[in-house]
Amino acid sequence: MKARLFASAILCAIALALMTTVGAVESVPLSAPKPLNQKGFPAELYSWVIPADNPQTPAKVELGRKLFFDDRLAADGTVSCDQCHAPAKGFTDQLPASMGIHHAFGQRNAPTILNALFNTLQFWDGRAPTLEKQIEGPILNPVEMGNKNFDDVVAKVKGIPEYQQSFQTVFNGAITMDNIERAIAAYERTQIAFDTPFDRFMAGDQNAISASAKRGWSLFNGKGRCMTCHGWNPTQPLFTDNRFHNIGVSAHKSDFVPLARKALVLIAQGGGGLQQLDQLAIQTDMSGLGRFLVTKQAHDIGGFRTMGLRNLLVTQPYFHDGSQQTLWDVLDHYNKGGVPNPYLDGGLLPLGLSESEEDDLVAFLVTLTSPEYASASNEELEKQRARAKTDRPQRDEAAATGKSGLGPGFKGPFGDMTPAQNEENPALLGGD
Amino acid sequence: MISRRIVLLMFGTAIAGAALAIRGARSYAQQAATHDVPAAQNGGTVVMLCDGKTSIEVKNLKPGQMMSRARAQAVSDELMDQWRRAHPGERWEVAQASQTGGEHLYAAGSAKQPPAAAPSLAVQQGDTYASFQPRDYKVWKAETDKFVADGKRVFHDAKALGSTIGISCDMCHPDAANTHPETYPKYQVQLQRVALLRDMIDWCIENPIKGKALDANDPKLRALEAYIYAQRKGVALDYGKH
Amino acid sequence: MAARHKSVETRYMEDRDKVLRGMRRLDRRTFMKVLAASAGAVMAKGLMPPHTFQLVNVAEAALDKSASATGAPGTPPFTFAYISDTHMYVRTLNQRFVKGAVKAVEDVNALDPQPDFVLFGGDLAQLGRPEELEQGKGVLSMLKAPVKMMVGEHDWFYDMGEKWQELFGPPNYSFDWKGVHVIVLMSVYEKDFWTARKLTPAERMQIVAGLDNPIQSRFEVGEKQRAWLKNDLAKVPATTPLLVFSHSPLYKYYRNWNFWTEDAEQVQALLTPYRNVTVIHGHTHQMLFNQIGNISFYGMLSTAWPWPYAPQGLPPLTVQMNRADPYDQLDGLGDGQVNVGKEGLADMMYNLWDRNPVTVRAQYLRSHGKVYRPPAPQFASY
Repeated sequence: MKARLFASAILCAIALALMTTVGAVESVPLSAPKPLNQKGFPAELYSWVIPADNPQTPAKVELGRKLFFDDRLAADGTVSCDQCHAPAKGFTDQLPASMGIHHAFGQRNAPTILNALFNTLQFWDGRAPTLEKQIEGPILNPVEMGNKNFDDVVAKVKGIPEYQQSFQTVFNGAITMDNIERAIAAYERTQIAFDTPFDRFMAGDQNAISASAKRGWSLFNGKGRCMTCHGWNPTQPLFTDNRFHNIGVSAHKSDFVPLARKALVLIAQGGGGLQQLDQLAIQTDMSGLGRFLVTKQAHDIGGFRTMGLRNLLVTQPYFHDGSQQTLWDVLDHYNKGGVPNPYLDGGLLPLGLSESEEDDLVAFLVTLTSPEYASASNEELEKQRARAKTDRPQRDEAAATGKSGLGPGFKGPFGDMTPAQNEENPALLGGD
Repeated sequence: MISRRIVLLMFGTAIAGAALAIRGARSYAQQAATHDVPAAQNGGTVVMLCDGKTSIEVKNLKPGQMMSRARAQAVSDELMDQWRRAHPGERWEVAQASQTGGEHLYAAGSAKQPPAAAPSLAVQQGDTYASFQPRDYKVWKAETDKFVADGKRVFHDAKALGSTIGISCDMCHPDAANTHPETYPKYQVQLQRVALLRDMIDWCIENPIKGKALDANDPKLRALEAYIYAQRKGVALDYGKH
Repeated sequence: MAARHKSVETRYMEDRDKVLRGMRRLDRRTFMKVLAASAGAVMAKGLMPPHTFQLVNVAEAALDKSASATGAPGTPPFTFAYISDTHMYVRTLNQRFVKGAVKAVEDVNALDPQPDFVLFGGDLAQLGRPEELEQGKGVLSMLKAPVKMMVGEHDWFYDMGEKWQELFGPPNYSFDWKGVHVIVLMSVYEKDFWTARKLTPAERMQIVAGLDNPIQSRFEVGEKQRAWLKNDLAKVPATTPLLVFSHSPLYKYYRNWNFWTEDAEQVQALLTPYRNVTVIHGHTHQMLFNQIGNISFYGMLSTAWPWPYAPQGLPPLTVQMNRADPYDQLDGLGDGQVNVGKEGLADMMYNLWDRNPVTVRAQYLRSHGKVYRPPAPQFASY
């Protein structure tokens, strides 16, 4: 009797322990700092991106986390960072464009905080050089957090005893906008996302991804021409070249040349500081000009940052204006060579991908999902797959196969421009 | 004049089987004119070996008198035996060709000075890389040139490259300019990975040329690589340079 | 990453201060013109690179009399655009080159105001076939402004210029334009290399089409045409500015690639008596410029593919452009404009696709590089 009691007690203890372990994993909130020992984590790159004047400490991270989730940072106390960068939604809001105070909407899709510490510049147009500086945008933007100036925010934080204590510990009591930025940025730097099936595949596990995904990876490097801009290598496994390209997304709606003219005038008059750029980017029809608003260089008209490709199924919709709902829409956009406009990047070409090749590429992109987002991603994938079966607004097979090579709206003396694969090549003779 | 005797002696040593390097023989002939032959003791003729040391007196041979072939051979053999006894384990032609061998030709107190810094003429023998012949060089060069020429042909031929749009490599790379083969391996921006030259060739074939990438073992790819390297002969290797 | 460089905002502010200081030095009329221009009307419409402060520099140059600047105070007397080296195959074989040519046509058509005319710089077709030339004419017919045609070797050596002349008229001619005498040369004649070898027209064209093919002869203007040129210039006073359009460079840059005109010295000798001479040439598919004596030379960009700089012979005044990225089929290519000032000196604007535009001033060349140096490349050729 006693033995059996003892045995069941042991069993209970084991069961409890197991449950707690499992439960502990499930109950770790998505907002918590992520462990660094994930498969595929780029340790060397990480050491490069932690700034010397803002090292990571647990206390600072915890302070930053508190601030991140604090809606008192908004002018009317209703908008916190996580409203647009919600952990459960891949640190985005899964809206085409974000909503700020007074339910006002901006023009740009909220980028994810996940792995943002590795970006060389922040925002779709790179107007902030660091995570710290990025914070200043939404803090002051009239349709985001709507503060009149930094002093208001600092004063508010100073008046909160909890923060007085934390700032005392972390910053020796100096409550300044700079330190608020440092704390929040330190928290953001804990939001890394690796350990995906693809990372495990690259580490040597041949069974980590499906055959379809492997074909997709091959297409990614070859026919799809994705790798050149969405570059991956073990040192920098983020699927971005940290550059800006006009892929024609804005051309869906805007007419660039008159917009560029207007933008130059406004910038010349307004001085072109971060605040003005921020407003132009978020609030005006010139949002579509992208990087040009920052550099004022012809080369950058309509250019936007190459975004990373991890966890795409929790960071939908896609592109700087959130105009595309599914990964198939994104691929259709590239397949036809983007949307023609005078400043379209010359690397955008019709790809001629078949439906099954697009499916393979989607399968590959799905393998870039971190475990904590796996189930949410699967749900979203099924939604997108169902939608993609019936609704494909970007699909243009004629353009993708080069039949209407010069894009819609071209009025020329040409008809069908299908490249003839077996055409007798007039360049018949060799060099000598 | 003793030159005629020396010439006889030369002939003799050649028959005796000493394989002299031609160069060695020539220099030997030049240097031989200067060594001092000891005087005859028994009324015969002193015959000296080209080392300027070994000599025997051939009895019953008056100065100017001709020897029979057989006798000349016997004299040569005798001289060589003497030399071999004095230099156990050494080889005649090596000793003659070497710096030390040359010095022997000059007796102490000789008025003539040795040529300054005569280069070593010693050549190793007996292994693969020691036995290249002029014919080999000709054949190998012909083969290599053909390989490179084939690469040049493919390089300039859109059809051979499999281009579907009439583009060949030389259109952007006349004379393979701007291909920089000496900088591989390097991180190739277009591929977003560390590439070798052949990886970039294949990428170009797939992209601007719009053909099918060639297999790594495809003779055309290897020939293209060869041609591109050949155009940069003499340029220092500088892997990783952008 | 922590930024130890000047922020975009700081640089912008410094730049803007420079402009404002510059503006104060202008007389009222020029100032008003600059203001109007900086409102975006001219600048963003593509005549000048849309760098905010470019126009002030132009206005300042206008005031700089000591360097015999591009025109007296005010805007240049005229502007022409150029499209060159389109190298089109028929579109069913290759769309890429047709797309390039059409993009250039769209660029030029978007200019407001329109240029006085458009110079076509030669090599309309790739292999000189009649259907390629017809197609090319179709593309260029979409241009709104009048077109002045110039022939290149790719247009000529299939049928020795028969189709070209049928479509576009004589290969060399001249005309006067707003006080400037403009000469269009056929500078890609070659001594016969094909008869002795019994080559077919296609074979002959193929050899000429190979830039590095040594069988062909070096380009030349030729004795007959030099005589024509001499005669043409006989009526032109030495004070008249000259614009010479030529496919080959009219100087000797790199023989192996026919970046070369065999009788360059003789042609230059005919031009030397003239005070202001500018040669605009094609064939080299790169940003290229030179000054020899009183003659300024500008090479035009291609719309088809870029060429690397030659291993030797690059004019020291040329500031290279960065290597082209083969992923980007527009890189290193483009079209452009030439602004001709009152004294007939010409500034060349390179409208490089997928890059920032670059303007090369006559003053830069004539001062032998002392002023207005164009921006340097990050990586020079090696």
